[in-house]
Amino acid sequence: MNQLVKFGLILGVICLIATLVLAVTYEITKPKIDEQMRLEVQSALKRIMPDADSFDAKTLDDIEYFEARKGAELVGYCVKVTGFGYGGYIRMIVGMDRSGIIKGVRVLEHQETPGLGSKINETRPGEAEPYFLKQFKGKQARTVSVKKDIDAITGATISSRAVTDAISKTATEFFNKVKR
Amino acid sequence: MRGSLSELIKGLWRENPTFRMMLGLCPTLAVSTSVANGLGMGLAATFVLAGSSAMVSTVRGVIPEKVRIPCFIVIIATFVTITELLMKAYTPLLSRALGIYVPLIVVNCIVLGRAEAFASKKGVISSTIDAIGMGLGFTWALCFISAIREILGNGTILGLQISDRFEPPLFMILAPGALLTIGLLIGLINYLASKQKA
Repeated sequence: MNQLVKFGLILGVICLIATLVLAVTYEITKPKIDEQMRLEVQSALKRIMPDADSFDAKTLDDIEYFEARKGAELVGYCVKVTGFGYGGYIRMIVGMDRSGIIKGVRVLEHQETPGLGSKINETRPGEAEPYFLKQFKGKQARTVSVKKDIDAITGATISSRAVTDAISKTATEFFNKVKR
Repeated sequence: MRGSLSELIKGLWRENPTFRMMLGLCPTLAVSTSVANGLGMGLAATFVLAGSSAMVSTVRGVIPEKVRIPCFIVIIATFVTITELLMKAYTPLLSRALGIYVPLIVVNCIVLGRAEAFASKKGVISSTIDAIGMGLGFTWALCFISAIREILGNGTILGLQISDRFEPPLFMILAPGALLTIGLLIGLINYLASKQKA
């Protein structure tokens, strides 16, 4: 009994220290991580909407999006899309013109299987952007679908479908709600 | 000094974690699809190994024998999480390249294996050297396996096209290719080791 309490206490103290260390590290790194995330979104916005020169962050119900403007003229929307892939959430940002034609897609974060699903965001040597995402350019976001518009990645059907279906679902919802 | 050198190199061949000890086979099967993946995973694991072995060795005096495993697990998991947070905050490029592999290190039993078999019994410096040696042994094993799989399964090495004369058999970078490659390599290495002994 005495031993049980002693061991429990020691283990408890170690866990407590670990929790403290983690909490401190989290607090210290959080502003930095948020800042990195913001920079990443900014650079993604510029890449998918090279014509636009300013982006206004907006929300519509629970959809986060950016209005892309060139001067005063509204040239399109960049919408944050979250899909559920094989390994967890796939967070993306999709640039579209005002009629919903896709200008570009960027994956911000994913946990797909390395070597298979991770190919959704892998670039071939000598190319500027991931070959899977490049297929989306010029397609209508509301109706985009695997097989018809998009070739799925071999061995990663679930990841490919997750990206495509999330884009079409969110785009449909977005264009039903946004006032044009 | 000679002692610590032999502690460093034993992980490379004689006690190689992947080929000789059969540890960490799960991450080996999973990430050895391309050389870049293998190298990234290997180096990240080496870093965590060195850190957690040093930590376990430092606190080995206060940890009671009977609850050592949960204590080690807590220390390792803490170290992996800290590594992940720091990488996200200060080296975003590295974090983007290795992001998905870092949490995988927690399931790597080499780390727990070294804590249990070495760091909990030896001093901080020799534990760290042992961990670095083991980590490098794991790294070269991963690179070797993934080079074979990438060349045969994808026709590339480090992403560069080698030859377009053959259609690479895709199964080599899928799970069966991993099992075949690792099985054949372990067989070969066991054969070599048995000859060495004789």
